[in-house]
Amino acid sequence: MKLSLKLTLLASVVAVTTAAQAEVNLVSWGGAYTASQQKAYQATYKDPDSINFINYNGGLGEVRTQVESGNVTWDIVDVLPDQARTGCDEGLFEELDRSVFEKAPDGTSMDDDIMVEVPNDCVVPQIFWSYVPFYQEGTFKGEQPTTIADFFNVKKFPGKRGIHTWPNALIEMALLADGVAVKDVYKVMSSDGGIDRAFKMLDKIKDHSVFWSSGAKPLELVQSGEVAISLAYNGRIGAAVLSEGAKFVTVWDGQVLEEEWLVLVKGAPNKEEAMDFLIHASTSASQAEQAKYINYGPMRSSAFDIMKQGEPWFHNGKNIMEHMPNRPEVMARSVVANPDWWADFGDSVTERYTAWMGQ
Amino acid sequence: MSAAPETIDGLLLTADGVPLKDSLQKSLRRAKVRAALLVAPPLLFLIFLFVIPIGNMLTRSVDDKLINQVLPNTFAAFESWDKVSEPDESMFEAIYQDLAGAEKTDIGKASVRMNYAKPGWRSLIKRTARKIKKMEPPYKEAFLKADDRWTENEFWLSLGIMKDKRTMGYYLNAVDRTYDFDKNVIHVDENRKVYNLLWWRTIQVSVIVTLACLLLAYPVSYLLATLPMRISNLLMICVLMPFWTSLLVRIVAWMIMLQQNGVVNDTLVAAGILSDENRLAMMYNFNGTIIVMTQILLPFMILPIFSVMKTIPPSYMKAAQNLGATPTLAFIRVYMPQTIPGIGAGCILVFIVAIGYYITPELVGGKDGRLIGNMVAFHMQRSLNWGLAAAMGTILLVVILIFYWVYDKIIGIDNMKMG
Repeated sequence: MKLSLKLTLLASVVAVTTAAQAEVNLVSWGGAYTASQQKAYQATYKDPDSINFINYNGGLGEVRTQVESGNVTWDIVDVLPDQARTGCDEGLFEELDRSVFEKAPDGTSMDDDIMVEVPNDCVVPQIFWSYVPFYQEGTFKGEQPTTIADFFNVKKFPGKRGIHTWPNALIEMALLADGVAVKDVYKVMSSDGGIDRAFKMLDKIKDHSVFWSSGAKPLELVQSGEVAISLAYNGRIGAAVLSEGAKFVTVWDGQVLEEEWLVLVKGAPNKEEAMDFLIHASTSASQAEQAKYINYGPMRSSAFDIMKQGEPWFHNGKNIMEHMPNRPEVMARSVVANPDWWADFGDSVTERYTAWMGQ
Repeated sequence: MSAAPETIDGLLLTADGVPLKDSLQKSLRRAKVRAALLVAPPLLFLIFLFVIPIGNMLTRSVDDKLINQVLPNTFAAFESWDKVSEPDESMFEAIYQDLAGAEKTDIGKASVRMNYAKPGWRSLIKRTARKIKKMEPPYKEAFLKADDRWTENEFWLSLGIMKDKRTMGYYLNAVDRTYDFDKNVIHVDENRKVYNLLWWRTIQVSVIVTLACLLLAYPVSYLLATLPMRISNLLMICVLMPFWTSLLVRIVAWMIMLQQNGVVNDTLVAAGILSDENRLAMMYNFNGTIIVMTQILLPFMILPIFSVMKTIPPSYMKAAQNLGATPTLAFIRVYMPQTIPGIGAGCILVFIVAIGYYITPELVGGKDGRLIGNMVAFHMQRSLNWGLAAAMGTILLVVILIFYWVYDKIIGIDNMKMG
């Protein structure tokens, strides 16, 4: 009796310690996006129970607090392009040995397989997502909006506009709508008067704008008729269309693509296990697998090939390629956001945008 | 043996022969230790959760050490520069030595700081630092090859803003001012002015919300205090129920009620009071922030006023009326003055909570209903400009202390009563 009690105690202690040791904390954005990571990376991992997903609202505030206080509890974080750069510069992330990551099927190294220039050695590829305009079928009578200029044209397409409460992507879109060529957008933004030009365009929709700050909001706004046409994260629109049968139309013109990376926090408690999971999550096959559950575009071009050959690729038997933000057909009219520009001028433009919004 | 005190050399002794003085001291010390132990938890709590964080915040808001540690040679070279001519080789050599000798992460942090002084520094330093290992003299040429912006004097001039180990720059930024290159205080560009507007609006919203809460809470508290127990208990639950409900649930409920196609607008349109095109904008603007914050903060006003009203004997009102006062006059002259401690407590409570609010304005504030708290959160989480966030936090603290002081002068803080 006594012995069995001791044994149970011992067993439970062992169980608790092993469970605590193997748990890798992966911090991501929640919702359909985290769900897609769980299905594509965690469920296919050799030890799914060892990965624990945590939700956060973005920003490096928490990571910096953990690293500075030396009390790190997060292992892997899913970050935006500017944070991927700032965090690596400030030494908040581990720099990773690039040779351990899996090559593409044709032998290309991972970094060369990624569709954009890899900013530093801290980042592991995730996805591309985009800011893109969309509306509900039947909102506009007659001619339908098809260009980014239409989004800024309230005379031709009357109704409220949904835009976000920060300037990223909006500046680029305003310039595209003003006739700037895709390749010149950042040149104009860096030039004198470039930002003024963008704000002049934004002025045209200001009085017709409803501002949102969380990703689910624009869908509610458009669904309820509160706004006629809104910007949103392309994955949110796709999820509503592909999984819920919503009648949303995406305007695939003038979208702004953003990168999403995984990083390993400096001094992560489970560095080795986390690294092993990062290698698994960044293979071409894993990247393609994620697109079965959400229409964000994989960063590795080899993943694209797998998807194209596998169509209909989406898990419920629908075609996915036409919902991918970085498919070749729409790239000609898309801007890939330049995080270096935003790192330099983001603060001043954000202040100006906040002032503009409140005036 | 008798318990009577004995004396040796004039010293009083206790029953067990210890000098009384020592014995007293010992027991006093024991009492002191016990008292200290009893006080320790709240004291430690205060130190760790109040004194240290606030001290940290104050330090961060003026700290500019790092940049001087990372670029000592550069600042020395900057001092001997005439600030007019194009930077020469010696300056480039100085910055080369600093960049080549510093930790990569320190360079990263420094470049972020430098970018506040002049946008563009960040990419300039980063691009150059990437090539620093392979550089050879002459350094000026090598630097220009890495990035041609190195001859722009503005970058060099901006070093003047950062040369001291302490800076008031963050405080200036927080009130729409900044340093020019000679460290004179100037206004920021007209189109970047945002903080003063937000400060003003934050105070405006806090005052309006406090007054609205007072107006709504007073009658409710009166009912709570005067109705029979059975009914007032029920009413009390109605007051507390939203208090127990999640903040987000309450905010979303208001969104459903007040949005353009929400319940209120739909009802007004259906009743023919509004036409379909003229639906009221009650959400995602200033109004939305006011309405939702008032509802959320209402219990903070009701509870202190109610608890004070509960202690006022009903006989006072009767006495006043017996002495010839009309019910209104008795209410104003006799009842109301007695509730002032509750009103004071409620107003201070609501005002202080309101002035630092940010979740509600973030969700329902839209374009003109966002407050200074939102900017603090933005700089803490997104832009990582903790210096500026700390400066704004400090100003917020000072504003609250000023209001507290004014309150103390006018009403008296001893007069405040939570119940």
